[in-house]
Amino acid sequence: MLSKVPIALAVLLSISPSFALWPAPRQITTGSTALKLSPGFKITTTGIKNVPSDLTDAITRTLNFIANDQLQALVVDRGASSAGVVKTAKSLSSLTLSLKSTGTVKSISEEAILPLESRVEGYTLVIPADGSAATLQANSTLGLFRGLTTFGQVWYELNGNAYTLQAPFHIVDSPAFPYRGFMLDTARNFFPISDIKRTLDAMSWVKINTFHWHVVDSQSFPLVVPGFTELSAKGAYNAQSTYSPADVKDLVAYAAARGIDVIAEIDTPGHTAAIAQSHPEHIACPDATPWSQFANEPPAGQLRLANPATVNFTSNLLVSAASLFQSSYFSTGGDEINANCYTSDAQTQAELSAQGTTVDGALNTFAQHIHGALRSVGKTAVVWEEMLLAHSVDLDKSTLVMVWISSDDVAAVVQQGYKVIHTSSDVFYLDCGAGGWVGQNVLGNSWCDPFKTWQISYAFDPLANLTTDQQDLIVGGQHLLWTEQSGPANLDSIVWPRAASSAEVFWSGPGGNGDTALPRLHDISYRFRQRGVNAISLQPEWCALRPGACDLNA
Amino acid sequence: MKTDNLLLVLFAVYPVVRALWPMPRSLQTGTTLVKLSPSFSIEVDVAHPPQDLLDAVSRTNQHLKGDMLQRLIVGRASSDTAALVHAPSLTKLSLTLAPAEVTSVKSIMAEATKDIASRREGYSLTLPASGGAASIVANSTLGLFRGLTTFEQLWYADSAGDPYTYQAPVIIADDSPAYPYRGFMLDTARNFFSVSDIKRTLDAMSMVKMSQFHWHVVDSQSFPLSIPDFPELSQNGAYSSSEVYSSSDVQDIVTYAGTRGIDVLMEIDTPGHTAIISTSHPEHVACAQATPWENFANEPPAGQLRLASAATTNFTTSLITSIAKTLPSTLFSTGGDELNVNCYTQDAQTQAELDESGKTLEEALNTFTQSSHDALKALGKTPVVWEEMALDHNVTLSNSTVIMVWISSQDAAAVAAKNLRIVHSPSDYFYLDCGAGEWIGNDPAANSWCDPFKSWQKAYTFDPLANLTEAQTSLVLGGQQLLWAEQSGPENLDSIAWPRAAASAEVFWTGATLPDGTPLNGTTALPRLHDVRFRMVQRGINAIALQPQWCALRDGQCNM
Repeated sequence: MLSKVPIALAVLLSISPSFALWPAPRQITTGSTALKLSPGFKITTTGIKNVPSDLTDAITRTLNFIANDQLQALVVDRGASSAGVVKTAKSLSSLTLSLKSTGTVKSISEEAILPLESRVEGYTLVIPADGSAATLQANSTLGLFRGLTTFGQVWYELNGNAYTLQAPFHIVDSPAFPYRGFMLDTARNFFPISDIKRTLDAMSWVKINTFHWHVVDSQSFPLVVPGFTELSAKGAYNAQSTYSPADVKDLVAYAAARGIDVIAEIDTPGHTAAIAQSHPEHIACPDATPWSQFANEPPAGQLRLANPATVNFTSNLLVSAASLFQSSYFSTGGDEINANCYTSDAQTQAELSAQGTTVDGALNTFAQHIHGALRSVGKTAVVWEEMLLAHSVDLDKSTLVMVWISSDDVAAVVQQGYKVIHTSSDVFYLDCGAGGWVGQNVLGNSWCDPFKTWQISYAFDPLANLTTDQQDLIVGGQHLLWTEQSGPANLDSIVWPRAASSAEVFWSGPGGNGDTALPRLHDISYRFRQRGVNAISLQPEWCALRPGACDLNA
Repeated sequence: MKTDNLLLVLFAVYPVVRALWPMPRSLQTGTTLVKLSPSFSIEVDVAHPPQDLLDAVSRTNQHLKGDMLQRLIVGRASSDTAALVHAPSLTKLSLTLAPAEVTSVKSIMAEATKDIASRREGYSLTLPASGGAASIVANSTLGLFRGLTTFEQLWYADSAGDPYTYQAPVIIADDSPAYPYRGFMLDTARNFFSVSDIKRTLDAMSMVKMSQFHWHVVDSQSFPLSIPDFPELSQNGAYSSSEVYSSSDVQDIVTYAGTRGIDVLMEIDTPGHTAIISTSHPEHVACAQATPWENFANEPPAGQLRLASAATTNFTTSLITSIAKTLPSTLFSTGGDELNVNCYTQDAQTQAELDESGKTLEEALNTFTQSSHDALKALGKTPVVWEEMALDHNVTLSNSTVIMVWISSQDAAAVAAKNLRIVHSPSDYFYLDCGAGEWIGNDPAANSWCDPFKSWQKAYTFDPLANLTEAQTSLVLGGQQLLWAEQSGPENLDSIAWPRAAASAEVFWTGATLPDGTPLNGTTALPRLHDVRFRMVQRGINAIALQPQWCALRDGQCNM
C-alpha cells in the first residue's frame, strides 16, 4: 500500500532549523523570503459547489489556529531580530481552496471513513513570496483538510503578526501509507469524551487518520451497546464512566470531521471478564485465581467460544456495537487466549467433546461466525496477530492483521498474504518502561521494558526485509496506549509528542533523519502546547532554541 | 534524628485503615461508621491563634466537603449507604496546644522554617466511635497542622456527597516523623515552571506531610531567579521575561510553603552549572559554551564560575548572600556537583590566577567555598552541598554542613564516615526523570544515564540507615525524590512526580516499621497509595493511576 511518490529527501535535509512542518511533506521547496498574513487574511473556496459544512468548519478552525497559536519561532531571540524584515514583508491576504475533480463533492467526514484503499488525502499547496494569493488544491475535501493542516503549521508570531521567513512554498503532498493510527485503551482506566476529543484534535494536527478504540476489556465495559445495555450497566466502573450511543455518535462525527476514522475493538474471546458481571453463562474461568494461570493479567475470564449460545451472543453484540460506528472496519481482537482457562472450564470441555473439536477448531468456528456477521453489515474484520499466527484461523484476505508481539512477526503475516498494521510492542507501545503494575512484585519491570522513545519509533522501517510484493501488504501503523498505569492524569504527557513520531514515519515514509527531525518535533510540541495539548519537553528549552547544540559531539 | 517509639508500637493494633499516607507511627482504628455532622466545626482552642493556623483550618473544612472521594471498594459509596442511616455524627474537632506551649504560640510558618533539628511536628488525634468531639493535641501549630492533614484523610463521600469515616474510633497516641527532612526537589532551570505549578506541587507535598521543598532554581541553561542586586542575571539568563521568578514571586512561594509546613531550601549551584551567568557576566565564567560540550561539562552548555578569581568569588558570595538573606530558611545550598576539571585547565585566566596565587585547583575551590559558606553562616544559615564537595574534593566543610548524596545510595556511608549530615537523594532510588530515553540529540538508541525508571516500589524499599553504624544514624536528616527537568515541564509535572514522590514521604515519616511493628511493606502500601492518589486527583493534582481501577477497588486481587 506504499504509494509510489518520490520523496524529495535532499530538499528536506536542506531546510532551515526553524522549519516547522510535521509530518514532513513528501515534496517541498521553500525559499527565504519573509511573508506575513494581512490583518484581513481570509480563506476562500473557488469552484466548489455546496461547500460541505465540515470543510467550512475546518477553515474556521484553521483561521483560529493562525490567530491564536501565538507560537514564537524556536530560535534564541524567539524571532525578535526578524522584526525588521517582518515589518517590511509582503502581506498574504488570502488562501484559495479548490478541488481538481469535478464530480459530486463529498464532505471530509464522508471521505475520511472510506475504505483505506479509496481514501484520497493528497494536496498541493502554493504560497507565493510576493503576497499574491496562496492556493490549495486537492482531489478531495479530505485532501484540502490535510493541506489546511499544513498551512496552519507555517506561521510564527511576532509583534502581533503571523509570519514565515521561508516563502515561497511549493508543496505536493500525500501519505506514504493509508493507515496512520493511534490506539487508546479506555477499559483499564476510563477517559472522558473530552479527553478523547482533545486526543483526536492532536492526532489531526499530525495527519493521523485512524483512531483505534480499544473500548472494553476484562476490567471494565464502558460502552453502552443497544440491546446489550446490561453489559455497561454492570460492567462499567460506574454510571458516569460509560460511553452512551449519543457519546459515540458525537465522537465519531468529531473524528470524521477531522479526517479520522474510528475503528472500535471489542476484544474476543479473551479479555472479556467484565461480561461475566451481566452474563456469567457466557464466561469461562471468571475471576479464577491465581489469575496468572488463567490470563495475562487480572481478572481472568474468556467467552465460552465452543458454546453456540455464546457465539450467537457475541455475533449479535458485535453487530450491534458495529452499528454505532461508521467505519468499514471493526476489530474482533483475538489476542492472548489462555488455553488453561478453557481446559479448566467443564462446560467448554463438554461442548468441545460433544462437537468433536479442539479449542482451535472451536475458535475457527467462533471467528468465522463473528466475522461473517460483521461482513454481512459491511464491515471488514481487524484482528491481533495471534488469530493468524498462533491459531491458524481461516481469515478472509481482506482482514487487517495487527502485529503487536514483535516486529519480527510481520514476515510471517505477509508470507501468508495478509495485510499488516504495524503495532509492535518493541517499537510503538507507549506504556512500557514505567515499572511493573501488578501488586506484590516490588522490583518488577514492565513486561515490555524499556521505555519506547520517540527516536526508536522514528527509526522504524515499515518495509524492512520485505519483498516488493509484500510491501504492498503494509497498510500502515500506529502508536498504542494501554492504560494499566495511565488515565486522564497523564494522557497527553505519555502520548505526545511521541505518537507524532509514527505519524511522520507512515505519512512521509521511512528513512527520515532523526537528527533533523528533532527541531521539527520540538516545533510541533510547542505548537501543541499553545493549542492546549500537554505535549512534554524533549529537552531543556535551551536546546530547543539551539538546534544541534545539544547533540552528542556538538 | 530518628526517634523511636517502641512503647507506642506495643499497644497499636494492626491497622485496617487504608487511607492514611504517610502511615502514622502509632495507630488504633475500629470499624464504626461516623458521619460528619452538617453543623461540624473545628474549634481552635489556642489563644491568639496565628492566621496561618486559622487558614489551615478553613482549608481542612474545604477539603472535608470538597474532596468528594468515595471509598475504593467495589460499589464505592453505595456500599455504606444502609449502615450510615444510624451512624453517629461528629460535631466538633478541637485543636489544642499542650499546656506548656500556650504562652509562646508561633505560626505554622515560623515553626516550619526553624532549624531542621528543632522542628516539632508531632501530634495526637482522637476520633471517638460514638461521634461527638474529636481532638488534636500538639506541642506546636505545625504539629496541629500535621494532625489536620491526617484528619482530612479519614473522610469519604457517601452517596449524597456527605463526608463519613468508616474506621472509628481512631486513636493516634503520638505521631511524629522519623526524620525531619522529607523533601522534594524541583529543577526550574532546564525547563520553566510557573508559580502556580509550584504552588500545586507544594499542596501535594503538604498532603503527605513533606517538610522541605528543595528548589534547584537556576542552572547552566537558564537563570529564572530575579535577585535584588543582580537583576541582569535573569534579564539576560531567563528563557524569556515571562519565565522569571520575581522577588515577590519568591516571597509568595516561600510563604505559601511555610504556611503549609514546608521550608524552602533554595540552591544556587556553584561553581559548575553556571554557564548562563556568562550571558550577563562573561568575565566570571570559564569555558562558556565551549565545544564539544562533552569535554567541558556533563551536559550542554558548558561553563563554570572562575573559582580562582577573587572578583568572581566576591561576586558569587554577594549573589548568594543577596538571595539567601531574603529567605526564612536556615538552609541554603551552594551546590557543588559535577565540577569539570578540563574546563579550568583550558581557561587561560583561571590558569594564570592559579599560578599567581600558587594554589592548586582544589585549594582554590576550598577558598571559593569557604567564602560563600562563611557568608551564609554569617546570615545564620547552614550550607548544603552535593556529595562531591565532601567526597571528591579537598574542601573544608563545617560539621553542620548538610550533604546530599545523589550519585549512588552506596555513598552515604562515606559521608557518614566524615561525620557529616546526610540528605538521601540517590539517583538509583529517587531520581524521577530516569528511564525515559536519552534527551541528548543525535543519540537515538541511547537510554537515560540513570536507567531504569525508578518505580514507587523501588523508592519505597529504600533503607535510610543501610550500611550505617548505630552511632551514625543520627546523621541522617532524611531524604527526597528529585525531578530534574531536562524532559519535563508543566505538562508532566504532576504525572511524573505523583504519586511516586509520596513513597519517600512515607519512608522518612513512618520510618522502618508500621504501627504494628512489622517492616514497611509495598504490598500493604499499595491500597493506601491508591487512596492518597485518588484524593490528590480530587484536589486537582494529576497523580497517575498505578493500576487499572478494577485493581484499585479490589485489594490484593492484582497481586502476583
